[in-house]
Amino acid sequence: MNRKLLVGLLLGVVLVLGFALVMPTAAQDRWDGADDLPVNPLECPAAEGAGEASPAEMSMPEYDGGQPTDAPDLAGQPIVLVDVPKLVGIGYFAATTLGQQQAAEELGNVTVTTDAPTEANIDDQIAVIDNYITQGVNGILFAANDPVAIAPVLTRALESGIHVVGYDANSEPAAREWFVNQAEFNGIAKAMIDSMVAEIGADGSFAIVTSTFTTPNQARWIAEMQAYQGKCYPELTWLETVEAQEDNVLSFNQATTLINKYGPDLDGIFGMTSVATPAAADAVAQAGLCAVDAVAGAAGSAEDAVAVVGLATPNAMKPYVTGDFAGCVKSVVLWNPIDLGYAAVYVLRAVVDGEFAPGDTSVMAGRLGELQVVNGSEVLLGPPFIYTAENIDGFDF
Amino acid sequence: MTTIRQMDEQNPGAKFRRFLLRQEIILFIILTIAIILLTLGSDKFLTVDNLLNQGRLLTEIALVALPMTFIIVTGGIDLSVGSIMGLCAILLGYMWNPSGPFQWPLELAVIFSLVVGTLCGVINGLIIVRIGVPPLITTLATLALYRGLAEGISQARSVRNYPESFYVLGQGTFLGVPTQLWVVLIFVLITAIVLSRTVFGRSLYAIGNNELGARFSGIPVGVYKIIIYGFSGFMSGMAAWIFVSRVTTTRSDMGSGLELDAIAAVVLGGTSIFGGSGSIIGTVIGFVLIQLLKNGLALAGVTTDGTIVVIGTVLIFAILINNYIQRRVSAGK
Amino acid sequence: MTATASPVTRPPVQARSGGFLSRALSFLFTQEVILFLVLVVLIVLVGSANPRYVAERNFINILNGNAYIAVAAIGMSMVIISRNIDISIGSLIGVLGTLSGTIAINGYPIWASWLVPIVAGALVGAVIGFLVAYLRIPAIVVTLGLLSILKGGLITITGGAWITDLPSDYFLAQMKSPAFSFLGLNVPEIPSPILLMIILTILAAIWMRYSTTGRAIYAVGGNAEAARLSGISEKRIIMTVFIINGITAGIAAVLWATQLSIIQSTVPAGLELQIITSAVVGGVSILGGIGTTVGAMLAAILLSAINSALVFINISPYWFRAVVGVLILVTVLADRLRRQRNRASERG
Repeated sequence: MNRKLLVGLLLGVVLVLGFALVMPTAAQDRWDGADDLPVNPLECPAAEGAGEASPAEMSMPEYDGGQPTDAPDLAGQPIVLVDVPKLVGIGYFAATTLGQQQAAEELGNVTVTTDAPTEANIDDQIAVIDNYITQGVNGILFAANDPVAIAPVLTRALESGIHVVGYDANSEPAAREWFVNQAEFNGIAKAMIDSMVAEIGADGSFAIVTSTFTTPNQARWIAEMQAYQGKCYPELTWLETVEAQEDNVLSFNQATTLINKYGPDLDGIFGMTSVATPAAADAVAQAGLCAVDAVAGAAGSAEDAVAVVGLATPNAMKPYVTGDFAGCVKSVVLWNPIDLGYAAVYVLRAVVDGEFAPGDTSVMAGRLGELQVVNGSEVLLGPPFIYTAENIDGFDF
Repeated sequence: MTTIRQMDEQNPGAKFRRFLLRQEIILFIILTIAIILLTLGSDKFLTVDNLLNQGRLLTEIALVALPMTFIIVTGGIDLSVGSIMGLCAILLGYMWNPSGPFQWPLELAVIFSLVVGTLCGVINGLIIVRIGVPPLITTLATLALYRGLAEGISQARSVRNYPESFYVLGQGTFLGVPTQLWVVLIFVLITAIVLSRTVFGRSLYAIGNNELGARFSGIPVGVYKIIIYGFSGFMSGMAAWIFVSRVTTTRSDMGSGLELDAIAAVVLGGTSIFGGSGSIIGTVIGFVLIQLLKNGLALAGVTTDGTIVVIGTVLIFAILINNYIQRRVSAGK
Repeated sequence: MTATASPVTRPPVQARSGGFLSRALSFLFTQEVILFLVLVVLIVLVGSANPRYVAERNFINILNGNAYIAVAAIGMSMVIISRNIDISIGSLIGVLGTLSGTIAINGYPIWASWLVPIVAGALVGAVIGFLVAYLRIPAIVVTLGLLSILKGGLITITGGAWITDLPSDYFLAQMKSPAFSFLGLNVPEIPSPILLMIILTILAAIWMRYSTTGRAIYAVGGNAEAARLSGISEKRIIMTVFIINGITAGIAAVLWATQLSIIQSTVPAGLELQIITSAVVGGVSILGGIGTTVGAMLAAILLSAINSALVFINISPYWFRAVVGVLILVTVLADRLRRQRNRASERG
């Protein structure tokens, strides 16, 4: 009996000690996108017009994508594509799928099916792509859960003569032919920070709710935001970054905790995902802290108000922009995911038809017109779009 | 067990009938039917290339399911295997990382991560045996703990760009068969022999049937349990090593959900979740069946969400059929 | 000596004997009291580091945040006490929540959108119970299969489209009970999830302690053979337990779905682990036979308080899960030590 008690106590002590050791090193109050890649902040708004180079005019790096081996010549013939987003079951990828279907319908000679794991899991995504390589599709569209982990299977697809085009989340360049870039990281960062400053001023303080620290896109955006903020708005206070998976209840709880923790010291919350942003807006609305208070009975004063800026789809944000909680959110940053999916299909069709080859500087994408090539092998969708009360009702996705 | 053997000696016909109705045979029949149906679903399914490639994909689940069989046979469970795999993957990269704090040689980093994996399993075993916390709770706690350590150590950084030779294990082939499939084969043989042909293996059944009785009959129950949980940790480390070699990077979320896949394979393989019965062959059929269903249905045009519905249904029905037949057998005895 | 870990030798809680002092001691060291003390210590410590932690608003948010988990943990506690388990509960809550939202946006009355998921939950529970009790498939196998079926089926049917534009009177979880006076005390308005959590937990606790069926659940989980001999129908009890679990899952799903203006129509990742964790940390033994729903509720609140506290005291979120793991272990260790004490005092 004594020995067992002793072992138990010892284990307890070890655990507590370990806990105590972890605590000090863990006391890190914010997180700024720890992927150690170089950042490239854009010019500050004041300096704009002083000859901001458009992406295409900058020195264009060499094409660095990969090429399929012995791809059959299917120019003008019907092709079958598979679309493998990070996961199925979130509004954002439902929108990209919709865009792909629109493009397929317009072109008439493309069939696209969407298939992906139900959770954003690298292993499952690899298995899904693997199966479609065996099944023998003509092209693969993907949004990578991890840029490196997905590379071997994509390379295998290229080696099997399958065309590979990415969108939303890139892989290593050599593992795909082209990547349709929704907006450049530094462009998103600038739009986010500028929108926030417009609401809370250049000396406000803000916190961030993101999905997970291992999500590459979010990590890049946050790193770029930090660089841009340091360069243009050094007076802004960056309070903290919290993780909330792709889970709206968790995002809501985390945002609520941030509001409670900082009280009046918190001026704004960034939502880094299409899940986190509406949840953060909900947290602000339910706390009665909307800047313009449309909710009867809730006591919100302009001084305590918390602004929400973030990446989100319009339908999810309408209640806070023009609906029941109108004015709670003033600006939502996002490219149009329907256009993103649409462009990806057009790019792949152009590649198959031989109209778009390495070295080209632009590609025609149906109703979107001519899209520019940047960074060697990326097709840029355009600058990020900012949804406001004036235009949000014109979008339905 | 002895009584059945004695009965068999008296009546060879019953022996053959019992052989036919053994769980593994029934499972094998289910597997065969599945393969026939899937082959009819797509002509790409039953090809050597495809099957070998599926072998690559099932390696991690297979490696973890083997020790899981041992554990479930004793009436335990290990939910922390996915988290151990994540922690081992992170440590492998962290220790090796040429621009990191340690910069160990890759071989040393691999060995270290395997040692830590084993240690994680041994800690599970110690808590279960020495403190008497039930396996489900212990490994539920360490599921969170080990994953948390992986996240804390990695600080969300992934380590990439391993030397080309490192990828042989996860991407290369040996005698035309994916390298890791050889590893799986070796471990299948070892675990099958250990479980069915050694005193240690028979003791595991005894523990699962009646732990108190096993203890009184002189089996060192505690030590054996610590060994199998340690082995489970080691195999999770192996899975991490192979997985990193296959996907060429380390992430702290690697292996999440692995525990349920492995448990599903073991249970589908006829091992009773209450302990006391089961076999490695059953587990092998279990994970092969799950992987082939995933693959074959996808090739036949079923999407991933539809596939997991089918797998869930197969799991329930396979056990249902098996239960029914086993009850008929024991009733006819 | 290690043989004490075996379920066979563990004395049921009710059978505790001994003098007044040892009984008082064993009360002091029940899991519920330990959890409550840990909760108080946590609140005092974090509150002194950052007074905003104990502000009324944060307090209510902490209680509110995991209320749906606490409600689901009621049924889960019973399932585990009867020596079964349900790992499909997270998927079930996702499916029932989506069902609720779908009913609400299709113009049906609001009460239907709250009631139908609960009925559907009971039906699913009955199916699980039937498979476990009558077809003798282990609960972990049934629910492992069901988990896949529900998860995949939900995506197949909804395609992952979010449910928005919910009617404004749909949000049950955002409603508050009116302020009322009780015994001369002025009770402030309480959010409905907290109210439901407390009422359901107390009802369940009373039912389990004093009703014949409630006590039979402990008997089935503690010693199925003895229960059978004393005339308890194990099958009927298992059916009952899974149906109740389905009902609490349905209520939890309604609370889950009605707290935000969007329903994600996917399965919340890892929810089943949170619910099971709440139940076992609350003192429900996975080997069956002991535990209470009050403990499970306290554990759910404790986990929510820890979640919040980690943000308040600036623990890097990287270490969050490690801390949760350590805390589960510490609670369980405390539980083991307590039981050893009890056993020692019984002998002494």
